[in-house]
Amino acid sequence: MYIVLIYDVEVDENGAKASRNIFKICKKYLTHVQKSVFEGDITPALLQQLKLELKKHIRKERDSVIIFKSREERWMQKEFWGKEDDKTSNFF
Amino acid sequence: MSESFYLFSDGELKRKDNVLRMTAPDGNFKDIKVNMTRDIYLFGEVSLNTKALNYAGQLSIPIHIFNFYGFYTGSFFPKETSVSGKLLVEQVMHYSEDSKRLKIAKAFIEAASYNILRNIRYYNERNRDLENTINEIKNLRNGIESAGDIKSLMGVEGSIRKVYYECWTSIIKQEVDFEKRVKRPPDNMVNTLISFVNSLIYTSCLSEIYVTQLNPTVSYLHSPGERRFSLCLDISEIFKPLIGDRLIFSLLNRNMITEKDFEKDSNYFYLKDTGRKKILMEYDESMNRTIKHKELGRNVSYRHLIRLECYKLIKHLMGDKEYEGFKIWW
Repeated sequence: MYIVLIYDVEVDENGAKASRNIFKICKKYLTHVQKSVFEGDITPALLQQLKLELKKHIRKERDSVIIFKSREERWMQKEFWGKEDDKTSNFF
Repeated sequence: MSESFYLFSDGELKRKDNVLRMTAPDGNFKDIKVNMTRDIYLFGEVSLNTKALNYAGQLSIPIHIFNFYGFYTGSFFPKETSVSGKLLVEQVMHYSEDSKRLKIAKAFIEAASYNILRNIRYYNERNRDLENTINEIKNLRNGIESAGDIKSLMGVEGSIRKVYYECWTSIIKQEVDFEKRVKRPPDNMVNTLISFVNSLIYTSCLSEIYVTQLNPTVSYLHSPGERRFSLCLDISEIFKPLIGDRLIFSLLNRNMITEKDFEKDSNYFYLKDTGRKKILMEYDESMNRTIKHKELGRNVSYRHLIRLECYKLIKHLMGDKEYEGFKIWW
């Protein structure tokens, strides 16, 4: 499945730490496309693994992570407004 | 669902934030999402440190390396994690017993030549007039069953390929002077393309074999030489017509690759960077193309077909189910 993950971390005394950890974990599974936005293809099992890893760092009541799921990439229409920046490409 | 990464840029590949980061000299970087990575292809001049290699090894990510001219140099092959002594013993037993080895080798050639035939038939139906070639190959295919040893089997394969390559000029719409397959070094555009694309299929097979328990050095059709993973050669034989040759035809017939993509001074021996990139993008796309699998009843990608081929071979070696090479059925 193809997912878009966005997160919001409250900036308080432990905020920097939480946001850093969440960022690093997401990077292992998804492509970093914008400041707190990740996207990419993933399997249900790996998504579960990602969730478990994140769970340790998300502070309930303070931080929020939203995941938009789509069954396949082709059902997701992606449009760029402004600068077009294809970060998800496998070619570099 | 994992992905291959193709890095053309020069620069450094390092471990950073628990991912592998490729940094170009101008400071641009790309983070490789390691948990979703199947393998990494390096085409540029890349500095790696052991930290990066250790990390890739830990995550079982093979790194395939190509030299400045785009030729396959070798792979960083992580420690085998899925090993099976039992299977290895079976693999070797099937190699050392001539009749068993011949049986597997025949299955490879049988499937490969069938796929070749399908390719020609496809173009014959598109008014290329290849009836003669078809009949010739059909005749030659009869020789597979009766071949008494590997050597004569290789002979049959050689003549099938010769006939096959002879008809390429009528399949390819561009003006090409391709008469026969020449290796080391390839002497014209088409030969260079074949060499490059075949080396890609070879590496893909290696990546797929890596996830199975098969040992990539013990092969049946090709002699298991030293310093090379010859089982990849065996398996890639089946997929060359389906993936490689079709890719070459479509690249040339759609004029995506022309003489301009080669270094002219080198007698079309070297592909330019831009050409290489175009081919790889198309290659990656065709590997991800899916078809509905007859037996499994679900969609599988071409790349996954290679993996299934390995599993079929394992079943044969373990005596579960007789191996039959993959044949194009659509």
